[in-house]
Order: sequence, then structure tokens, then C-alpha cells
Amino acid sequence: MNGAQHILEAFHRHNISTVFGYPGGCIMPLYDALVDDVGVEHVLCRHEQACALAADGYARASGKLGVCIATSGPGATNLITGVANAHRDSIPMLVVTGQVPSGLIGTDAFQETDVLGMTLGIVKHSYLVEDADSLPAIMEEAIKLAQSGRPGPVWIDIPKDLLLTEVADTPSTRSTPQETGCPDLSEALSMLRSARKPLLYSGGGISLAHAEDSFRAFAESCALPAVVTLKGIGNPGKHNPYNLGMLGMHGSRAANKAVDECDLLLVIGARLDDRATGKLDGFAPNARIIHIDADAAEINKLRSADLAIRGDLNAILSGLTEALQDEPLAISNWQKQCRTWHTTGGFHAADNEEPLAPITGPAFIRQLSRVAPDDTVIACDVGQHQMWVAQHYAFDHPRHHLTSGGLGTMGFGLPAAIGAQFADRNSTVINVTGDGSFMMNAQELATIRRYNLPVKLIVMDNQCLGMVRQQQELFYNNRESQINLDDNPDFVAMARAFDIPALHIERTDQIRRGIETILAYNGPMLLHVAISREENVWPIVKPGASNREMIDETRRPSKASKEQVA
Amino acid sequence: MNPQSQPSTPSYTINCRMIQEAAALERLCQVVRIRGFRIATMAVETAGEHLNIALTLEGTRPIAMLQSQLEKLHTVAEVALASGSVARSRSA
Repeated sequence: MNGAQHILEAFHRHNISTVFGYPGGCIMPLYDALVDDVGVEHVLCRHEQACALAADGYARASGKLGVCIATSGPGATNLITGVANAHRDSIPMLVVTGQVPSGLIGTDAFQETDVLGMTLGIVKHSYLVEDADSLPAIMEEAIKLAQSGRPGPVWIDIPKDLLLTEVADTPSTRSTPQETGCPDLSEALSMLRSARKPLLYSGGGISLAHAEDSFRAFAESCALPAVVTLKGIGNPGKHNPYNLGMLGMHGSRAANKAVDECDLLLVIGARLDDRATGKLDGFAPNARIIHIDADAAEINKLRSADLAIRGDLNAILSGLTEALQDEPLAISNWQKQCRTWHTTGGFHAADNEEPLAPITGPAFIRQLSRVAPDDTVIACDVGQHQMWVAQHYAFDHPRHHLTSGGLGTMGFGLPAAIGAQFADRNSTVINVTGDGSFMMNAQELATIRRYNLPVKLIVMDNQCLGMVRQQQELFYNNRESQINLDDNPDFVAMARAFDIPALHIERTDQIRRGIETILAYNGPMLLHVAISREENVWPIVKPGASNREMIDETRRPSKASKEQVA
Repeated sequence: MNPQSQPSTPSYTINCRMIQEAAALERLCQVVRIRGFRIATMAVETAGEHLNIALTLEGTRPIAMLQSQLEKLHTVAEVALASGSVARSRSA
């Protein structure tokens, strides 16, 4: 068995059945081995960046390891954005790249780049295979490491000659310490019991730890008012009456108000990032903080915790639920207050009842949320549409919401949707995108067509980079700079060029029929939704400001004052 | 400019033991830099499969934050902050 065959054998052993890749010179031995291997489905994307983002989407939707493959040089460099995206959001991913033959490394050979060196900052760990006999141990270790503790991408760079060299099939690995048992929770319980205004703050760490069920059980049994980060959307469930939704820069007034007023913040699986906290000095000013996370390096990184608990989130959440079962928290006044805030300061965009009125982003997303099946996976891109989805779509599970949180990668949504569809060929997968993001990986329409994936594509087209335009309007004296996209192609014709049917809508009375049409269609379909160029995401906190300083539409500069500024 | 009016930058000594493999030192140095510290001195010794690295670092951020980030590296076996290193400082 040569190195290439060994890699496929390791995939089999670890039940890796789907990989996303693009062939090229130095990875050709692996592609040659794939010809004889029928146990691994190789998905050929049309750009290596899309391979990595599709592997990311596959991992987010399924909870399994995502795998992407590329050749040396440009193949590897094209992967980088997708791998960085996975790194920032702690997505388990294995990256395999071919490298120039061992003897040519360091000679500026054709398609040689120092992949190990240029990717150090965007991986959980990485390897340059230096002899064939080390490959089995590296494969074993990499596959485990990517999925253990706080997950992340692990990159293996393999010189072409070693892919062709016979390897000894005796994997041995360095041991990876496993979490065992539940840490002492007595102090946490004491703090929870003495708090009058406790608030649950959860993030993407819940699903990364596969702790969705234990979190839901805890949140429901304690009836704690809850806020979520962008990646934590779906954690509390859409029917939880104490779910105040997303906090932060585009969070709800209710969520940010609750954080401002709470006296205890129970942070679970979240890293207190700046888009969520706003200016740290003004964040949760009255609260003691309990920070529970799998990663010790996140605790006390930005805000000191009064109590830090590191460990397995499943065990900790189950322990808390059990301990609080017999004596519920006495917080009825706080619960009532939070529900009032939710009623008055939650995300409640009214449907436009004027049938001929232009479509607004929030109204469209709320309609989509009502019409789409409960287990629909929404893969967003980055921009205004991403925030409207976060605000107005009612998610019942965090794995139904795929979004690029940490890196904010425009172009994520379409390949992520492809990955999610491969994770479950029977699920409903919708890519909600903007006209800017869509064009960043539009070549993947060919992948959708090739595999006849029933992915639904919704392009919310405001003919500009809306989020940048919005910030230029609000924070740069309305001086628009390089945001105009009014020369976009005809997206309906473009989809049809890829043999994907498409539909255009622009009026409120067309929303429901448009959504129902694409959902009913047996195959991929694109819905082009024309929306106003001037529409903003409300509320918004100015970058660097406190969440208390939220700006809403009533404080939007009037057209007259904008003209004065101009 | 009067150097005495400049804020002092804390200095720390860290001893680190990590597995010797391709790009081991680059990985370590990159984490030090990105987390806000400057390497003032660095001494490296090979000890079997390991590297023993002694670093003198300067930076204004909490050293515990860097220590936990270094400990997170897969090939780092041990990170020890030399006692008293926080007390030493130099002018920026």
C-alpha cells in the first residue's frame, strides 16, 4: 500500500465517506488511488476555496469531520480562506494537500509554496510529512485532533514522492488527553441560587461539543432568560419563551438590555467576542460572570470571570440541570421583566400589507421562516441578509443555521450549502445570499448542477454592498465608496446558463408564491429577490461603542441632513 | 524625549518544552507575536525528541493569556513562567 492508498484506507477506517477536492500535479497519486476506491465519494468543486467551504458546511450541518483536498501551490493557497474560516469558527476539518517532491522542496520548484509556513496561524495543527513511515501515525493523530477538545482544521502537506512510497501500516499516535467526569459545580450553583437576575449567554461551543440536547434540557428546566451569539442561534429553541435572541452589534434591544441589567451572566460555549459584547468596559456592568468553556485559553481572555469552569459541556450542563431540578430558581420577576422586554424590544418586523410595495429584507426572511420546513438548513453569506436571517428566522437547532461568524467570509454560503446537502441528501437546504457574496463563489452553480443537488438559492439583490454602504451612511458621513454593484449580471439568466431554473420577484405580494415555488421544485432553483438599495439593518451598534448605544431607524440621518453632509 | 516619562514594558521569562518537528519554532514565535509580545532573547536546545526553549518576552498584555495560548499548541509539552519575571521591566 502506498501513501495515497493509505490515506484512503484511513478515511474508510474513520467512516469518512465524503470529501471535497480539486486535483492537480502533486496530488495526482491520491486521485489515481481514488479511481480504484469506491468507498469515498469525492465531490469536485470548481475552486479550491469552495472545496474548503463545502467541507466546512458539511461539518457544521452533520457534526462530522469535513475533509478537503488540493494540490500544491495555488491549490493550497486557494484553500486558505476556507481553512481560516473553519479555524475562526472551530470547525473540525482535515486538509490534505500535495507538495512538490521531497528533493525539490526549497528549490522554488513549479507550484511550490511553503504551505506549512503560510498556514501556521489558521490551523489547530499542521504537518509536513517528511518520511513515508510517519504517514500512518500522522493521519490517525490529525483525524482525532481535528475533532477533539475545541475542534479545528488540521492540515497535512504531503510531498508527491511520499504519496507513491510504500508505507508500513502500523499507526501509533501520541496520546490525546480526554475529558473525564464533571468538575465541581457547587460554587456555580451557589452563585445561580443567590442571583436575582441571572442570564444565560450561549454560543457556538454548544454544538461544537455536541451538547445541544443537554443545553436545551438545562435552559428549559431552569427557565433562565437566554441570549445567544450569532453562532449560538438555535441553542434555546424557537419555542422557548425566555429566548431573547441574538445580542450584540445587530442584536435585539431586549437581548442587549437584559445583558445590561443582569446580575449574573452564565456564559457557556462562547468567547465574548467584540461583535457580541461591544465595548468591553460597558458590557454587563452589573454582572458577576461564570464562564464555562472547553478551551482554557478563552477564559479570562477578554473579560475576567468570577468563576471559570473548563471541561466537557455535556457533563457540566447535565450536572447543573440535575442539581437545580429539585429546587427551581426563584426569578419570576426577572423572567417577567425579560418577557416584557422581548415583547417591546425583540425582533418584530411587521409584514408589509401593501401588495405592490417593494420587498423588505426582514419581511422576506420572516415569510421564509414561516413557509420553510422546520428542519431546513439555511446557509448564509455575509452582509445585511446574514443579519436579517439572524434576527428574523426562527431556528430550532443550531446546526440549521450555517453562518461565517468569526471570519465573516463573503462567498461562504453557496459552497456551505453544497456541503450541507451532501451531509443529508434529503434535507431542505437554502442558501440565502446577497448579490455581493453570491458573485464570490458563483462558479459553484456548476457543482450544484453536476450533482443535481436540490439546493435552493435566494439572492437578495440590492445592487450594492449593503452592509458597507450602511456603515458609510451612518459612520462615514454618507460618503459612499466602492459599494455600487448596479452592473450585476442578470442572475436569472446566469442561473439558467447553468441549467438551473430561476424566478424573479420584487413586490410584497410575490414573496409567498416565490418561496413556495422554489421549495416545491424537485431540484435546484434560484429565487432572485430585488430589494431596496437604501434598506439598513436595525438596530446597529457603532463598532467600538457600547451595546447600550444602539442606533435604530428613528435615529437615521434624514435625507435632508445627508444632503447637507454631502 | 525623557526616557523616564515613557511607560515601562513588562518583561517575562518563559521556559517552553515542545516536540521537535517541522516549523516548531515558527509556530511558537508566531503565537508570541500575534498575542502581542516581542521576543527579546531566545535560546534553544535539542533534547532528544524535544526542544527546550528559553524566551525573554516583552509586552503589555497579561502574560497568562500568552501562556494559555502556548499551552494550547499541540506539540507544546510544558510552559513555565519563571518566578519574579513580572517584576522586571524596561523602558519602552
